[in-house]
Amino acid sequence: MTQIPGTGNRVLIPCSAGQDLVRIVQINEEIKSIVAVAFKINIMALNAIFLAKRAGTTALGFGVLSNELRVFSQDLKTAMGGLGGAIHKAVTEVSVLLQDQRVLRLLQEAERLSGGNARVREAVLARQEKLESHKANLAQQRRQLKLVLGNVAQLVELGGVLAKSAKIEAAYGQAFSFALSQVSGEFDGVVEEIRLSLSHLNKSGFFARGRSQ
Amino acid sequence: MKASQCFFQDGEHKWVAIVRDPDRPDALIDTNEYLVACNGSGLLLDPGGAEIFPAVFSALSSGFDPASLVGLFASHQDPDIISSLALWLEFNPRLPCYVSWLWASFIPHFGGSAESFVAIPDEGMEINLNGLPLQAVPAHYLHASGNFHLYDARAKVLFSGDVGAALLPSRTEGLFVENFDAHIRHAEAFHRRWMGSNEAKRAWCERVSRLKIDMLCPQHGAIYQNQDVERFINWFDGLRVGVAVG
Repeated sequence: MTQIPGTGNRVLIPCSAGQDLVRIVQINEEIKSIVAVAFKINIMALNAIFLAKRAGTTALGFGVLSNELRVFSQDLKTAMGGLGGAIHKAVTEVSVLLQDQRVLRLLQEAERLSGGNARVREAVLARQEKLESHKANLAQQRRQLKLVLGNVAQLVELGGVLAKSAKIEAAYGQAFSFALSQVSGEFDGVVEEIRLSLSHLNKSGFFARGRSQ
Repeated sequence: MKASQCFFQDGEHKWVAIVRDPDRPDALIDTNEYLVACNGSGLLLDPGGAEIFPAVFSALSSGFDPASLVGLFASHQDPDIISSLALWLEFNPRLPCYVSWLWASFIPHFGGSAESFVAIPDEGMEINLNGLPLQAVPAHYLHASGNFHLYDARAKVLFSGDVGAALLPSRTEGLFVENFDAHIRHAEAFHRRWMGSNEAKRAWCERVSRLKIDMLCPQHGAIYQNQDVERFINWFDGLRVGVAVG
């Protein structure tokens, strides 16, 4: 059997558009993990609703919060879907940029080797114009993504508040207090997981490039 | 940089070979590109891969105005034949590419649109280059399932795509085959493996035997001329092809 060299290593592409593509893929993976967590919250909230029903009047508040957490998980899933859509547009723009860069490199080389052929020069200029336009589109996509990320962060803050409130409500659960506290603690944990993922997304070099441009 | 060498000229009618690039990265197979020019118009045959476009373009422009190119001819669909298409179309978006109808919807993956292609029917067709009649000669399955060679009856030159190709040692410089027996050793394995059909090979040998050919110009290796043309056709006719150990 032949071992593929470098299997398991991260792909390193030296040009900036190539780096962007790698970063977008990483962002997309992070989005997928958040969507998976959103699904987990949905199931957890459903269980919490049943638990609150069993606990009866002592867990009325907890039941309301569990319902809200379920709505939150659905909103989060929708927001992440929007983010995924924006990511796919960015992938398209970066791929076009990669193509622009390759074509431009080869045309510039042809211009140099041919001693400045005027028509190749025209083709170089036309391709440079396209490249600039695609760069502008990508910058726009970057801003759009950042905006959506900001909205998701606000939504997650709301989720955090709901999880904290559920913790407080659990304390009033009397005989069910331990079980409710356990569930609310899990809510808190998964919301923290999402916060961490969002923080990774915000630190992505893809957005850092946007700030330096 | 590639060298461009005119190997046939009769007034305004000429054939130019663009060959041997010492700067070519080792990973890329060496290729020959050919220009047929007549009365100031040119047709570029198997224009090459995208990565060698700068070298081909500059070699071409050293003796011919690339703006006078009126078309590209692709013997088949391989990347070393025509993946530079998008770049040629950047240079001149109206440049038509003559290719087997079979590949007309595959090659646009390299660039171009439906309007960029002139589909050659299976039986071949005549291409008129500013008064010079050129014949697209069927060479299907040698090696691609839709494959054409180009015959210039006035110059008695046959562009033969991958047929006649030889994978020569890296420092080989000569444009023409000088010692047939020594040369053909570099062609044998290539033909055995790449040419898939003995039946197609037989048909091709019969077809081209009827043509008057002074020079047979493959896309890799060196040009066969005079007696070596017949020698090559006989050799190829006797070779068992479509052989692979697997």
